[in-house]
Amino acid sequence: MSEPLRARLARLERLLGAARRIADPADALGRRARAALGAAGLLSPEGVELAIERCLEANPTRGELRALCDAVPSARRAHVLLSANVLTGAHRAVAVALAASAHVSVRPSRREPVLAELLWEATGELFHLTDELAPAAGDHVWAYGREETLHELRENLPPGTFLHAHGPGIGVAVLQPRDDGRDIPSAARALAEDVVPFDQRGCLSPRLALVAGNRAAAEAFARELGAALAAAEKRVPRGRLEREEAADVTRYRDALTYALRVSPAGQGWVSLDVEGKLLLVPPVGRNVHVLRVDALEPALTELAPAITAIGLAGPSAVQECVARIVPRARLSALGRMQSPPLDGPVDRRAPREGELVES
Amino acid sequence: MTVVEESDALHARVRAFANGADDDTFERLGMDIAQFQARWSAGYARLVKARGQTMPAVPVEAFRLTRVAVHPPELDAVAFRTSGTTGAMTGVHALRTPETYRELSLLQGPRFLCGPWTGPRVVVALAPAPGNKPASSLGFMMRLFIAALDGRALSVHPEGSPFDVDAPERWLFGSAGPNLAGLTRASRVASERGESLLVLATSLALLALIESLDGETLRLPPGSVVMHTGGFKGRRREVAPDELRAAVSEALAIPRSHIVGEYGMTELTSQLYEDTLRGDRAGVFYEPRWLRVTPVDPATLEPVGDGERGIARIVDLGNVDSAVAILTQDVVSRSEGGIALHGRRQGAPERGCSLAIESLVWPT
Repeated sequence: MSEPLRARLARLERLLGAARRIADPADALGRRARAALGAAGLLSPEGVELAIERCLEANPTRGELRALCDAVPSARRAHVLLSANVLTGAHRAVAVALAASAHVSVRPSRREPVLAELLWEATGELFHLTDELAPAAGDHVWAYGREETLHELRENLPPGTFLHAHGPGIGVAVLQPRDDGRDIPSAARALAEDVVPFDQRGCLSPRLALVAGNRAAAEAFARELGAALAAAEKRVPRGRLEREEAADVTRYRDALTYALRVSPAGQGWVSLDVEGKLLLVPPVGRNVHVLRVDALEPALTELAPAITAIGLAGPSAVQECVARIVPRARLSALGRMQSPPLDGPVDRRAPREGELVES
Repeated sequence: MTVVEESDALHARVRAFANGADDDTFERLGMDIAQFQARWSAGYARLVKARGQTMPAVPVEAFRLTRVAVHPPELDAVAFRTSGTTGAMTGVHALRTPETYRELSLLQGPRFLCGPWTGPRVVVALAPAPGNKPASSLGFMMRLFIAALDGRALSVHPEGSPFDVDAPERWLFGSAGPNLAGLTRASRVASERGESLLVLATSLALLALIESLDGETLRLPPGSVVMHTGGFKGRRREVAPDELRAAVSEALAIPRSHIVGEYGMTELTSQLYEDTLRGDRAGVFYEPRWLRVTPVDPATLEPVGDGERGIARIVDLGNVDSAVAILTQDVVSRSEGGIALHGRRQGAPERGCSLAIESLVWPT
């Protein structure tokens, strides 16, 4: 029998109370969080602040919380395997598990354990922190990470467990500018707002922009996006890239400079393909590939399995097209991609009930 | 001058330099080729301008994303395709003339594959027949070596029989795997002629051969040599070079020094070899006079310290019509006057839910 909604909401409220304290720079916990998250991660201090301020879902509506409870099955025990993704990711992941069960065990990422530990402390140990998850048949496991990690987990979970696997994904911007192009600068600024958080390391982070329009529109958009990213960087400097990330950026920059055209965008880059031939995903670090297309369907269909979120700008026909081709992606206006409602996992590609692990 | 005239002049200079002419230097020839490429290739001109350098290296990914050539496609004499390990895209290295490739390959290969022995030998390939217009640079090179280093019908008494480089008995790997009977026959022909056998192979084909032999030994004639090339990228099983060398040595009853590694790639015109036949240590590959490898930091592209690992930036003067300087994904270090290989750079791992660049690249 499923647990009463009231009990589930009560747990979520305790978690949200902790999140609100972390979000508050005047609270001692908020100060500790900023210091610890800044020291542990790769983001600049401004990047940490932006993530906490804009992306830590501390004040969802009652409706969102009810939707969150509806979005997950009731579970006797829930287990959470966190990855080193975005620094606020632990909050939603724990919320999803607490919506499902009163008994939640969390294994934080070894590289970014800070938020999970702070939430655990501030909720009065509402959930368990562990180095090793020990699910049993009937338990639900929410796992976030690389395909290799998820595959290994599938192989090793006990039969009868339910796996909610949230693998890699990307955000995509889709826009169809007006004929007069007057909406291009605002769309570019909005997209920059989505690119900057987490220096693009999240699965909601847009890495590719599909522009359904003419060549001039795509060129103008790429130009405006470069300027918007450069301007955004003055407010929120890009943090540090890991060595291999930086190497990927160098290769992307030089290969695309040879193949197409690449423009600086602060410390990142914007590549532009007006011919609509190269559908590719640039590396993280505030890099965006702008692809002009005559029709959205082919590119979206190719990308669909990897898309977690889409930011839209354009007429309703564009939204209808996107919703038809990528029905499980989170759709929002450009500029809102990093703030989805707290109504379930950000990645909605996995089935609500999870995958039953069989022997 | 037209692109063809300029190119022809540079090809001639490269071939002369490769043959030992000393009226050119590596640096001057490299710069002249880079400037020629910047004049005739809009892509390279952009890269030169963007990097503010005379000879920036073109990442090998560019070959998958666009045409890397100074001349128009209608002038292609040969187009080599990469094996394509990422997404659905394969790269193309288009050559306007194969003559420089031929000459440079034959200047370098026999030196390392034949060692001090100058007599005739039987040459076969543990590879599928590439046909007379090979799409793979390796197939092209193997074909070249079979013709140049053997060039006779594969029979005990070849006199009077026509030589056919594409004869099935030369190409001993098919959809069913290695052709053990064919290799046994080639070995017997060589033995009865009192010659050695040169087997040109990929590492994967050798691994399949060893598995097919299942512990048995296929004894090659004295002095026989096996050339192996390529890694195991994306395959279910990887074998360390030393392990492969030991297994091949045992399976074919030849000394380990007679198993010679070759390092080449579709995006290059030239090859590097181990010099094990002259007693050098395995695992060190030697550059020819017209090619230089510099290990560089993958992010800054600055040369790394002596002996340190970096990715290979290769200047190949043979790449007259494509990209004289390329940036590979291979991790290398300078060692004993040559280059040691340390596998391929993996790229940034996917962090949690964020996709890595290599995961998604498609042509539309």
